[in-house]
Amino acid sequence: MQGYTQRIREAAKRLLAEKKVDVVMGFRKGTIPFMNEPFLAKSPEQVDQLLWDGNCGINLANYLSGRKDRIGIVAKGCDSRNIVVHLLEYQIKREQLYILGAPCHGMIDGRRITEELAGKEPLQVEEENGRIRVSGKGFEESFDRKQYLQENCAICMHRNPVVYDELVGDLVEEQRDVDRYADVREVEGLSPEAKWKYFEDLIAPCIRCYACRNACPVCYCPTCFVDESRPQWVGKTVDPTDTRTFHFLRAYHVAGRCTDCGACERACPVGIKMRQFTKKLEKDIKEMYGYEAGVDPESRPPLDTYRPDDPRDFAK
Amino acid sequence: MNGNLGLEPSAGAVMVVGGGVAGVQAALDLAESDFQVYLVEKGPSLGGVVLQLDKTFPTNCVGCLGCRAQHVGMAQLDESIPVNDCSTCIVSHKLEESGRHRNVQILTMAEVESVEGGAGNFQVRVRRKRRNLDWSTAPPTVSYGADEVVSLRVGAIILSPGFKVFDPSIYDTFGYGVYPNVVSSLELEGILNPYGPNHGRPVRPSDGRPPKRVAWLQCVGSRDLHKGAHGYCSSVCCMYAIKEALAVKQHDPEIDTAIFFMDMRTFGKEYEEYYNCAKNEAGVRFIRSRIHSVEPAGAGSGDLRLDYIDESGQHCSEIFDMVVLSVGLESPSGIQSLAEKLNISLDDNGFAAVGDFTPVETSRPGIFACGAFAGPKDVPSSLIEGSAASAASAAILSNSKKAGFQGNTYPPENPVVFERPRVGVFFCVCGSEGTGAVDVASVRESVKGLPNVVYVSEEMLSCGPTAQEAVVKAVGERRINRVVVAGCSPRTHEKFFQETLRNAGLNKSLLEFANLWFQDAWVHEDQPAPATQKAVDLIRMAAAKAVLLEPFPQQEYKVNQKALVVGGGVSGMVAARSLADRGYPVVLVEKSDRLGGYALNLFKTWRGNDVGPYVKELVGSVANHPNITVRLSSIVDRVEGYVGNFKSTLSNGSESEVVEHGVVILATGGKEFEPAEYLYGKDNRVLTHQQLDARFKAADPALRSLESAVFIQCVGSREPERPYCSRVCCTHSMESALQLKRINPDADVYVLYRDMRTYGDREKLYLEARKSGVVFIRFSLDSKPRVDRVDGNLHVTVFDPILQREITIVADLVTLATAILPNDAGILAKALDVPVGREGFLCESHLKMRPVDCETDGVFLCGLAHFPKSLDESIAQAMAAASRAGAFLSKESVRFSGAVAYTNQMMCSSCGTCVSICPFSAPRFNDKGKAEINPALCRACGLCVASCRSGAIRLRGYEDAQIYAMIESI
Amino acid sequence: MSQWEPKIVAFMCSWSSYPGADYAGLSRLAYPPNIRIIKVPCAGRINPKFILSALRQGADGVWISACHPGDCHYMEGNLYASRKFALMKNFLEHTGIEPGRVHFSWVSATEGHKFAQTAKEVVDSVKALGPARHMIKKEAEVA
Repeated sequence: MQGYTQRIREAAKRLLAEKKVDVVMGFRKGTIPFMNEPFLAKSPEQVDQLLWDGNCGINLANYLSGRKDRIGIVAKGCDSRNIVVHLLEYQIKREQLYILGAPCHGMIDGRRITEELAGKEPLQVEEENGRIRVSGKGFEESFDRKQYLQENCAICMHRNPVVYDELVGDLVEEQRDVDRYADVREVEGLSPEAKWKYFEDLIAPCIRCYACRNACPVCYCPTCFVDESRPQWVGKTVDPTDTRTFHFLRAYHVAGRCTDCGACERACPVGIKMRQFTKKLEKDIKEMYGYEAGVDPESRPPLDTYRPDDPRDFAK
Repeated sequence: MNGNLGLEPSAGAVMVVGGGVAGVQAALDLAESDFQVYLVEKGPSLGGVVLQLDKTFPTNCVGCLGCRAQHVGMAQLDESIPVNDCSTCIVSHKLEESGRHRNVQILTMAEVESVEGGAGNFQVRVRRKRRNLDWSTAPPTVSYGADEVVSLRVGAIILSPGFKVFDPSIYDTFGYGVYPNVVSSLELEGILNPYGPNHGRPVRPSDGRPPKRVAWLQCVGSRDLHKGAHGYCSSVCCMYAIKEALAVKQHDPEIDTAIFFMDMRTFGKEYEEYYNCAKNEAGVRFIRSRIHSVEPAGAGSGDLRLDYIDESGQHCSEIFDMVVLSVGLESPSGIQSLAEKLNISLDDNGFAAVGDFTPVETSRPGIFACGAFAGPKDVPSSLIEGSAASAASAAILSNSKKAGFQGNTYPPENPVVFERPRVGVFFCVCGSEGTGAVDVASVRESVKGLPNVVYVSEEMLSCGPTAQEAVVKAVGERRINRVVVAGCSPRTHEKFFQETLRNAGLNKSLLEFANLWFQDAWVHEDQPAPATQKAVDLIRMAAAKAVLLEPFPQQEYKVNQKALVVGGGVSGMVAARSLADRGYPVVLVEKSDRLGGYALNLFKTWRGNDVGPYVKELVGSVANHPNITVRLSSIVDRVEGYVGNFKSTLSNGSESEVVEHGVVILATGGKEFEPAEYLYGKDNRVLTHQQLDARFKAADPALRSLESAVFIQCVGSREPERPYCSRVCCTHSMESALQLKRINPDADVYVLYRDMRTYGDREKLYLEARKSGVVFIRFSLDSKPRVDRVDGNLHVTVFDPILQREITIVADLVTLATAILPNDAGILAKALDVPVGREGFLCESHLKMRPVDCETDGVFLCGLAHFPKSLDESIAQAMAAASRAGAFLSKESVRFSGAVAYTNQMMCSSCGTCVSICPFSAPRFNDKGKAEINPALCRACGLCVASCRSGAIRLRGYEDAQIYAMIESI
Repeated sequence: MSQWEPKIVAFMCSWSSYPGADYAGLSRLAYPPNIRIIKVPCAGRINPKFILSALRQGADGVWISACHPGDCHYMEGNLYASRKFALMKNFLEHTGIEPGRVHFSWVSATEGHKFAQTAKEVVDSVKALGPARHMIKKEAEVA
């Protein structure tokens, strides 16, 4: 992964100099550890701010909707899948994009490392040989990178970008023996009452800040259902039914479109694991319709189409 | 309004005699083309035999297209209709349209007295009974006064007097009229009819108990040369017997159903599949045996015994508790005298004599025949002929058209959007069916206090003028701006009340129904309190929705009055000429370098007329027609637009040309199947029908010296990979077999067949073939014949079921009756959203009720592209397509349906889901990249609305807010 | 508890199950009076949100019925809808709505018998579960 930064900068410089793109979308160092920030380099002079490491978890596709300019974009596996979703949903045109594919080794779950530090403030984070070295005032600790990946990254099966114009690193070996749905199956095995309780506990801390929605690359409706007044799905007061409705409908709206990029959980200030909602839909869609979001730019999203032999035994 | 014939009699008018489906279709097509129509019906109401039927084959439907309104609407126009107790809805949409169409004058209880003059100018005298209608009773009572004679001046006459059902009492062996549980098939329809006294439960007449074992005896009165019976095949009985058996099974799958038949004649589109389904899935038994007599079994039991010999020659005896006689169709009573008055010829069977190339023309110019009067036929074929007769009449009248359309006049519409909602609830307690468990008085009290309800009516007894007046009066007095009808189903009464609203100065959209009888009172008869509560709930829900109803906007668009016909075979040419004769410009596109299509390879029609000269004449008239532009060696590359405003790109390989047109007729034709069996292609003595026809045409001398010829039927048809019957091959083999016999009477001619399907009067060819010594050997799918070459000779080996052994015929010639396949319609099906069936035939909108209209407005189909059919049938369907297309082209502009979906651009996220999923291609991205819905294409299904995550699409009449309001008021 | 009767909201396609209900009425086929039908033009018009809305309004059960696959009056509306319904049903049940609250069926215009039979099954199944407990939107509480 070390060489990525250099190659991103070289490519960005070239693309901007040759006027192939108007901007290059990537990451630069953030103001706090574990949190690089999205950055738009608009001139060759700015490209040296671009960098790449395990803290580039934000899904850059979220910034593409409706842009009219030509964009060079650094895309790891999930970003590229969301680019495909955007292409399928006419949010951007392929010819506007120059995709710098970044084969991904998984993004670091900074939240969990911070917890391990038990109050010590990390000031510097470095990655080397599969270890994460965190140092601060008077301490230095090292973590096994594999153990501290974001949950969605740990079970990711599309680390390599699915579309790209050039690569900024060598393709990585995809994880094969991953059980993506162990947690979903566990819930499936519960009684209805226990299922209800499981999700009730899961979303209990929700303050309905909608950060999950805002971080999600596929949530781009001009008016969200939470702002509808007739019917008012989500009221102004803290009502558990409304909170449940919000999470339920949010997940339903991204069905067949969610790439499990983890942006929602990453953005949540109270740590809700709302991927438990979306993963069930993802699993069903895969099992019933054989579809994975954002993998194939040629096939319509699963709710945009049907097959005559779709399973229909749910109905009498 | 009441049939007072207030219009100026005009030669631009048409008289249609007979108000069955064929006549109604003819009248409607003409009326839509702005011709004046007089619809003369002998009985008290329209509908004909179809109204007496339960369900229909092969759709098993009660006419979902028709359910929107029953003939209630006609009551306004022609008070003769003793409506109420809703009759079946199958033909209702057509009837309702004709009844309310101001261009149609209905004369019931009326008969033609005399006809003078000629084509373009007939003077007709019609005698009818004066009617009085008393609306104070429910149902209203009709009484008839003295006769009156009405004089009409019309340019053309269409006869569709229908048929008479064969009376089986002439047979003494079936015990009809003796044993109560022997019934005719039409009587069984009455028993199974949900509107009947048993609400559709099958019961035995003798004791009212449900039967356990029911037998159908086919060909009662048909295919029978005994005195009083008929030699021809009635064409429809096999299918209706299957339908009835399935209907009985639907009530109780345990009931044993057995159909005794000679040949199963399921030759229509989807018919064979229907038969297979009945046999293989529903468990209907099919027994090939003609039953000679019905005997009583067990004194007092009412049961019946059938003795018969089965296919293997075994004597069998079975007991049934009900026997249905599948009676045939015969020419209508009194037809002889009508034919004399009109001076038209009848054929040997008493049906109208029509020609192969002029399938709806009688012997007298200007007088046309359609429906079962022109020979027994099913509903779709009757509708096709109705439309065809309309086209033929319109061609005569084209110079004097527009006889005087009288637009309906309505009071100005109250804009209502500026007012608070004021809901009126109208209780409709019509009919003798009763209000069941619902306590209407208490419901009325309960709904008085509902929000925005300002008026609750008394119980209205009928859906006639009195109800209409009551609604109009209340709307005016109470300033009602939303109407809730509490009582009947919108399926039956929506049109009537929409009309009523318009008369009350309200947009027709401001109407909602609470379905109190069908969906409450009659299904909860033993639970009065919950049923009454449910009635209140249903009205509350309806009122909650009604409050949010908004008037539909009205928009018009211009129509390009030009047609594109694709396919230069007989169908395409006939359709093109028919429209061109009426003055509409037509572009005719043909893929090959010459006109004529499939018919170029045919020898004779089934009536024995040479096809060649007809095609030659037709090609000449089309090529030289001033209104027809022919494009040979051309295909349609691209189609854009929508009904009234299509734009197609034609291409001949080197150049392309853009044609703008208002309608499209698809006549892309068919072709002969090329088999890979029976040594076809490997031995030049094995031919297809077309190849044999070519030899006949060339008067091949070799045919004269044939010693032995074999025909093998169902080659490529009725096989698992192609289950349909190709309809024409049995008849074709009969013609060819007879031709061979004519050429060389000493030749041995064999026909190896599965079921002989010489339907209608084609049966006489079969009889003639048998008489002339043609040998018929039946085979089944699992023991198909073999063709081998042995020492240079062709050996045809087949298992003979009568001899119960294999026999081998040494043949000089083997003719394969190969399937007819559709041609590939290229991009057209997809571009025009016309579904293509399993086997590649283009799909009409509705198998039964809309046989030439495609689901996409402005697109029509005919000929082999639709299904295999004989030349006369193709010609009729082509004329029908022209008639339907002409009805549309006659208008310079058309009004959009207001009930369509529309987008809110601000909320659209441009995701393209709507564009991707709409079955009718109505949504498109506009130049701002936002979705927009073309109201001309929108069919208001709401799929896009429910699929739009952004909530940017709304559907008038089914808005989200309205549905949520209903949910909230539960 | 013996007094409790479930309220069931039904969404019916206007070409199949709604006329199917009419057909049952015509044939006088009795079924329990707990069902309130909302007519929609096509299964395609049924937004899965309707189901959620009905549950939030306190419906004890929801029943959705449309044309048989392949028989849609609008050619393919029910085929698209069928995917949404299958996902929605699984998702509701995954998050704790009991199986047996939300039902789907294909009933044609002539299947009055199937309509009445299915209505009975739907009502029986909802009755067996007792009153709805979850997803109900109570009047807003003042904190």
